[in-house]
Amino acid sequence: MTTTLAGGRAARRQTMRRIRPRRSPAVPLLLAVWAGAAAVIWLWWMNTPSIAGTGGRILNAGRITGLLAGYLMALVVLQMARVPALERRVGSDRVARWHAMSGRYTLCLVLAHVFLIMWGYALQAGKSLGDIVQQTIDSINQLPDMGKAAVGTGLLVVIGLVSIGPVRRRMPYDTWYHVHLFTYAAVFLTFWHQITTGNDFAVEPLAKTFWYGLYGAVTALVLWYRIVTPIRLNLKHRMRVEAVIEETPGIVSVLIGGRKLHRMGAEAGQFFRWRFLAPGMRFSSHPYSLSAAPRPGLLRITVKAIGDHSARLRELEPGTRVWAEGPYGALTAARRSRGKVLLVAGGVGITPMRALFETLPGAAGDITLLYRANSTQDLALWDELAKIADERGARLMYAVNSPDGERPDISAESLRRKIADIDRHDVFMCGPPGFAQSVYEALRGAGVPARRIHHESFEM
Amino acid sequence: MRKSHPIRRAVLAGAATVSGIVLLLSLKPASNPAAASAAGAAPQQTAAAQESPQGGSGAQRTGTRTVTGDVAATQYGNVQVRLTVSGGKIVKAEAVQAPKGGLSDQKTALAVPRLNQEAVAAQSARIDAVSGATYTSGGYTKSLQSALDKVKSGEAKGGSAGGSSSSGSGSGSAPSSGSGSGSGAAQARTVTGKVAETQYGPVQVRVTVSGGKVTKAQAVQAPEGGLSGQKTALAVPRLNQEAVAAGSAKIDSVSGATYTSEGYKQSLQSALDQAGG
Repeated sequence: MTTTLAGGRAARRQTMRRIRPRRSPAVPLLLAVWAGAAAVIWLWWMNTPSIAGTGGRILNAGRITGLLAGYLMALVVLQMARVPALERRVGSDRVARWHAMSGRYTLCLVLAHVFLIMWGYALQAGKSLGDIVQQTIDSINQLPDMGKAAVGTGLLVVIGLVSIGPVRRRMPYDTWYHVHLFTYAAVFLTFWHQITTGNDFAVEPLAKTFWYGLYGAVTALVLWYRIVTPIRLNLKHRMRVEAVIEETPGIVSVLIGGRKLHRMGAEAGQFFRWRFLAPGMRFSSHPYSLSAAPRPGLLRITVKAIGDHSARLRELEPGTRVWAEGPYGALTAARRSRGKVLLVAGGVGITPMRALFETLPGAAGDITLLYRANSTQDLALWDELAKIADERGARLMYAVNSPDGERPDISAESLRRKIADIDRHDVFMCGPPGFAQSVYEALRGAGVPARRIHHESFEM
Repeated sequence: MRKSHPIRRAVLAGAATVSGIVLLLSLKPASNPAAASAAGAAPQQTAAAQESPQGGSGAQRTGTRTVTGDVAATQYGNVQVRLTVSGGKIVKAEAVQAPKGGLSDQKTALAVPRLNQEAVAAQSARIDAVSGATYTSGGYTKSLQSALDKVKSGEAKGGSAGGSSSSGSGSGSAPSSGSGSGSGAAQARTVTGKVAETQYGPVQVRVTVSGGKVTKAQAVQAPEGGLSGQKTALAVPRLNQEAVAAGSAKIDSVSGATYTSEGYKQSLQSALDQAGG
């Protein structure tokens, strides 16, 4: 059985929009981050007229790494504050990769900072590297807020350890996520020693004010966008499970009802983080894309039962309360720069492509959807895709394995053969990482510039 | 969707960070770590403190004299240094004038005690600037140099030095700092407390009393080097402020610097006893 959710008013409104490509704010943001780092270095530079001896050099290396770590720590938290400009304009996937990268780097800076400062103190007190442990203990006991900082650093190390690839893969997602929440405690604990023992903040009240400002702003953004905004959203829209429908073996659609759902500002191609308030599910939230443009009283997600959580969706009772956070994601019509669009879906990656296929503005023949699945039975939502294609005059193609299991040919040549002017298309793509990588290479080979291939990947 | 090379990226980030920090450190001028070894100056300071005058007669006896350097104008205000010289050595340095008001007050409180110590330790104007108080340090160094020049020329003339050499009348107890341009000079006097030994080194406090009030408190000695230096920098300016605010030795310890605080309070009490008696 299939659910047909085509022809909503919101969907029609979206198809009428003009094409005006919106630039991602990634470049200006990165420039601002670098400028901030330069300002932090400058603070150290102005407060350090000269350096005395080896101990002084080591100590100052420790101060630089400490200042940079303190600065980046605020940004690492900011990246996970779910700020709409980051989630919807830069893209949740890209921000998550930044977060992982800068988190690792910041942890390395923290460890270097601890080591260098303690070594520097030891040298200045006329001791050697061997006394570093005693020096560390003394510092923790004697300097203000250092006990807190030590606990915080310990937490950061634990969080870093559980985020290493092999450890993380062996861990249930929920456990990993909840350990990760301790980052907030760690950042709070390590903040105070920066103010009370940081030379630059002791002598430069303006720098101290800025530091409070930076951390205060990040705290405010986290509280606002991770706590207040979701509460307001859910109080306003009051979502509940309306029905659960099996689309194909292993793929289910969940219909979610609520109030004024078209006012959530969700666009085709975006996702929400869903939490179903059913036994065993209320403590974990998962990102699933909308598989149709939102209608005033109805949202739909379509999910493949791969994980523990997605398998349980099948058993959801109608009426179950739903807690959603979003919308997030930047794989929307705003990315588009050309009249012609090719959508490429692999397996359950059809969900955002299905919504885009319905709503992307375009005349007959402008929109093409290429749908890859293992077999024709696995082509979920096929009937409604065919209906949309029919109504809009869009092209719909599929590629499945042949009965003997041979994989279909998706290469630069075959793509050019099917779509002669492929190099003048924007391409939106969603699918498993291996599939996305091979299609990406085929597209590049067929002459599509990288800036016109739009893709979201949640692989770290 | 470029292929990512996590190992290569990590190596690049590490190499870039290390070379950036090494570059920054190498661009900074190296300085003589004399300031850190100021412990050697402690006996001299103690001597100076003992001679440090209730009246000028004691100072006269040991051939001690004070020389005041020229005023050095800085962006934030004037700096003027006075030296106490005994037996050809600087036994004490103090700022007669230093920048005042708002931010400058804090910086002065932070920088001047360190600069005083450094001057005594180095016996010259080749001292390190205090980070965060670069202008004040520069002015201090200038005025210090001019005072040193006067000391030299004074010796050449056979001791009847120019400048404001102390004559041994009442003015030996002139104000040791601040706005003391002469008007309030008669009432203000400085008293130095006894040395209080702590686990990390001696602490000695000097207070300036004017009209029965403590107008200034400073540490003539405090623990130095490594962790102790860090703590002194952290605690002493606060303790100075508290002492002036409280006008007594009933002040709060600075957390993390308990021993230094206790020593400070002891020495402060002894200074206040002397001032009162």
